[in-house]
Amino acid sequence: MRPSTLQTLGLGSVIEIFQNGKLPVSADELVDRVFGKAGNRGALVITGANGIVGAGKTMQLGSRLESFGIPIIALDFPGIPDGIAKQYPGLVRAFGKGNANKVMGNIIKYSYDGKTLPKALASHNPKFLLEAIPEILDIKKDHYKTFREMFPEIDIWSVTSGFPRSSLGVGIAHPAFPHEVNKIWEIVEPAPSASSKLLWALGLIPMPVSDNWSFVLDVFFCGLTLAGSRFSEASNMPYWKIDKYIRKYLGPNPFRAHDAIGAAGANFLSWSCLHHLSKHYGELFAPNQTFDEKKESGQNWYPLDHFRPLVDWSMNEKETAEFNAWILGSLFQMTSLMIHENRTHLSQMNLIGELCAQFRKGMLATIRSYGADATRKIVGDYHKLHPAAAEKAWHPEVFEKIDSPEWQQLYVNAEHDGKVGVISINREIYNYDVNTELDKAIDWLKAAGIKNVIVTGDFHLSTQMIGADTTDFFPAIENPAKGVELCNAWSATARRLYNDFKTSVGVINGKRCFGGFLELMMHCQYLVAEENAVLGMPEVTLPVIPGMEGCHWPFRKVKPENYPNLLLLLLTGKPVKAKESVGWLTDYAGPLEETIKLAWKIASDADHGLKKREVVADNLKNMPKEAPGLEDTDDTSLEEARKAIVGCIQNSCNAPLSEAVSIQSKLSGNFMTTTLFKKGAIGTAYAKTWLV
Amino acid sequence: MKEVKSMFPRARIPYGTWGSSYFPAWQMSPLAEVNISQFAGEAMANILGKRKVSRKELEYLVIGSTIPWHWKFWNAPVVASCFGHRIPGYQTEQACATGLTSVVLAGSEVNSESYDVVGVLTFDRTSDSPVGVFPERRSYRRTEVIADVWDNFGFDPSTGGAMIATAGLTARKYKINRSEVDELTYLRYKQYFEAKNSGFFNRYLFPFDVLNVQGKLVGKISEDVGVRQITLQSLKEQRELDSCITSGTQTHAADGMATILVASPGKAKELSSKPEINIEFIAKVDIRTLPGLMPESPGMAVQKLLQRTGLTMDDMAVVKNHNPFAVNDAIFAKTMKYDWAKMNKTGCSLVWGHPQAPTLTRILIEALEEAVDLGGGYVLVFGCAAGDVGTAGIFRVS
Repeated sequence: MRPSTLQTLGLGSVIEIFQNGKLPVSADELVDRVFGKAGNRGALVITGANGIVGAGKTMQLGSRLESFGIPIIALDFPGIPDGIAKQYPGLVRAFGKGNANKVMGNIIKYSYDGKTLPKALASHNPKFLLEAIPEILDIKKDHYKTFREMFPEIDIWSVTSGFPRSSLGVGIAHPAFPHEVNKIWEIVEPAPSASSKLLWALGLIPMPVSDNWSFVLDVFFCGLTLAGSRFSEASNMPYWKIDKYIRKYLGPNPFRAHDAIGAAGANFLSWSCLHHLSKHYGELFAPNQTFDEKKESGQNWYPLDHFRPLVDWSMNEKETAEFNAWILGSLFQMTSLMIHENRTHLSQMNLIGELCAQFRKGMLATIRSYGADATRKIVGDYHKLHPAAAEKAWHPEVFEKIDSPEWQQLYVNAEHDGKVGVISINREIYNYDVNTELDKAIDWLKAAGIKNVIVTGDFHLSTQMIGADTTDFFPAIENPAKGVELCNAWSATARRLYNDFKTSVGVINGKRCFGGFLELMMHCQYLVAEENAVLGMPEVTLPVIPGMEGCHWPFRKVKPENYPNLLLLLLTGKPVKAKESVGWLTDYAGPLEETIKLAWKIASDADHGLKKREVVADNLKNMPKEAPGLEDTDDTSLEEARKAIVGCIQNSCNAPLSEAVSIQSKLSGNFMTTTLFKKGAIGTAYAKTWLV
Repeated sequence: MKEVKSMFPRARIPYGTWGSSYFPAWQMSPLAEVNISQFAGEAMANILGKRKVSRKELEYLVIGSTIPWHWKFWNAPVVASCFGHRIPGYQTEQACATGLTSVVLAGSEVNSESYDVVGVLTFDRTSDSPVGVFPERRSYRRTEVIADVWDNFGFDPSTGGAMIATAGLTARKYKINRSEVDELTYLRYKQYFEAKNSGFFNRYLFPFDVLNVQGKLVGKISEDVGVRQITLQSLKEQRELDSCITSGTQTHAADGMATILVASPGKAKELSSKPEINIEFIAKVDIRTLPGLMPESPGMAVQKLLQRTGLTMDDMAVVKNHNPFAVNDAIFAKTMKYDWAKMNKTGCSLVWGHPQAPTLTRILIEALEEAVDLGGGYVLVFGCAAGDVGTAGIFRVS
């Protein structure tokens, strides 16, 4: 339908992975290329290693490179507070004490005066420098010069928050907060390098972007913060309340985020980013008086604790329109600029907002939902409030392509070779957009006469399938019809994977597959998984009744002796490893490459050795009401949730397949209006983020 | 309209750049529990936002408050921070005259061309007022403790008398009749409820939702809580506390805030939703009468003001006062030969309560709104203040 994002890294497409029966590159070969072969392996140097970025990346890369025998050299000024030691507890939580000690044991700390590198550094044979020092161009350039004089062959990347490659003269890998765990890196380089591919092979998410001032994430995030501060200046609404409205309508809370990161540093970085952007793109990005003050003072955006807000604020319809004009108008215009500059693949641009800036829905998906005309109108409304922004950096023509596959398939792509189709999903959380795009992908493949299909993650932007986007449930809390409608719609799409193809294979290639995504994938006629993938139905813990046929569909595919496994999965919320689920949930679990090969065999109608598990269309008799081995609980909410799910299992199984979907949808949709649901995690999030 | 020289020819009040909270009675609303300075700062930002005036327009802040509040040492700057705009300013107080004084001081700041836009923010919380502990070497107890609101109401250190005693004393001096006071009070309630029912209050009173520290709603400030419909008979039946003074014919303590902007003529047009309306400062005076005769002081202040300006009561389009005791109006009418029925047509502090500093600010706002309704004219605003002080000011709306 559109190019795969993997292609932007020079790694081919998703269908090629299946055709070739293996991943395009391995970490081993890339480590050899970047750091040298085992026995003569060089080091990774991180400068500014005690800073927030430096320390975070020391952990993230250190934990991935330790097993390859690559020393991590952490370099910083003497007297700088130790930022690396602070990371240890997190490292222990993530990897256990033994592995955390190994990672820390592989980090070698040096101090230097900013001019002369430690002589001992040479003994580690530095191959790669990741620079994370302050955002002052001359200092950065001197820093590179110092390294190149001592290590002429060293490859250098900067984590700069805004300078283009053309100014710095080195590669750029711009990471996203929180640096220990966020996998996204915006990469600026003329062509995909072995280093970028290595990030991918290590399970990170590099995204090539163009060499322009600032980065996609920063344009969105700093731009949103600026838009919020402009709205505050226009309306007097305090930042904390603007944050609540932005969180409700878009997802992030930019002012809180600045305070959480550390206002002194974050204010400066955002100001700096906007300042540089405004030099090139004009008033759209010009820091306002508020930003100048915050940059100078380093003060928090939220009030101090003793001045926690007293007066609440609300918006009427007219004020909401003004809010939209300031906030969405700015963001839509900024997006138009980045599309005009062809900064990156549209799916990547869209997902950077979601994965790095907490946008509930990427900015391109948001624009798409408004449509081109409405988008232009909102920007027009913004320009009435802020005429200077209209003078530069506004490219309304980019929205003319809004019907193209690049815009329409932001989350779901499809490819085929004339016989086998591959649907790849790059969003980790299933929502209405994914559902719609999945429908379109199925339509497209069917129109091309494709009878066999593989459904999988995209091997790039999505590293797992977490479940349903519970914010899509919010409208159902006040209106049960909305919940029933959602369950019916999503279930209908899921059933197409079973009904519309001669053969369908679900491939769980990521770390986990939960909830709604697992319900979706189990609709494929075959379900295969990487053996260490974790599968689960955590709905009972939220609580919510599974809405995509999870209460009857898997029971129809197994023998009664497997019912307890499914009941425990549904009633405990505890996940299972894929390799422990074969025969009752999955059809195969094995090493990733074996899984890929098997999926291709099944989809190509080659001999594969698996027996298709049929779905029983009749009523299932004698469904158990209890799961053997289910531990009692004194948590009354959990007990009630279990009862509700058991009720749904009983009712939907004790009906023909043709009726089960509507039974399950009704029970699941109606459950969202109950007190139990409202007191649970989703209801609480609704009250916290929606009722502002 | 007679032409009279303005006291501040370079200062204006931009129409509509004002607003007030409702004034819930003492201890009857969430305002009894908050730092009133913070509430006032946040409420001012909200009011100006609804008025489409960016807080960034303000260059200076004059705050008026009479009851000590937490962090008062930091006075206007800290309130400005709660308002959301770090500007300088100062705090002033003149007991119950604080509202008018604050506006005049802001006018002076603008007229001197120090600033183009000055905010006036007046507020007080009479509920749970602070208790001060003062070392007093000359007192037999060596240390005196004063509950700021009630102990001060009960004792004027200059005269040794209570506030209420001044009302009784002055009523006797002017031979005011109890039944006139009851009828006057009854009319004041009628005027208040007529204004309320007409929607007049919606033009300048803003409701607020008050949050607790967890960010949850504590309650709404959307009524002059404590003000009830009253009958003449019920007033007549009340026990007299002093001559002509009953609990029904005096005001009640309240909590609240009120704000108003003062700007240069050009900036006033820019900020106002009706730039064609011109509001000028004409004159303001204070006087101090003999000990214990506070209720006669407002009339004396008005007399002096009229003498200085050459205006008469007949020149006034709107007459409105702070009347903590209904006898104030009866005495004013008697000494000025003015029909008290022509005063306070849209409510007054006798009815809606008395949070001290913001009282005269709200009276001024109501008076200006009323004058605009009448097509302009002179606006006389006056009242009494602790220490047997009378204050009066005239504004011109054209």
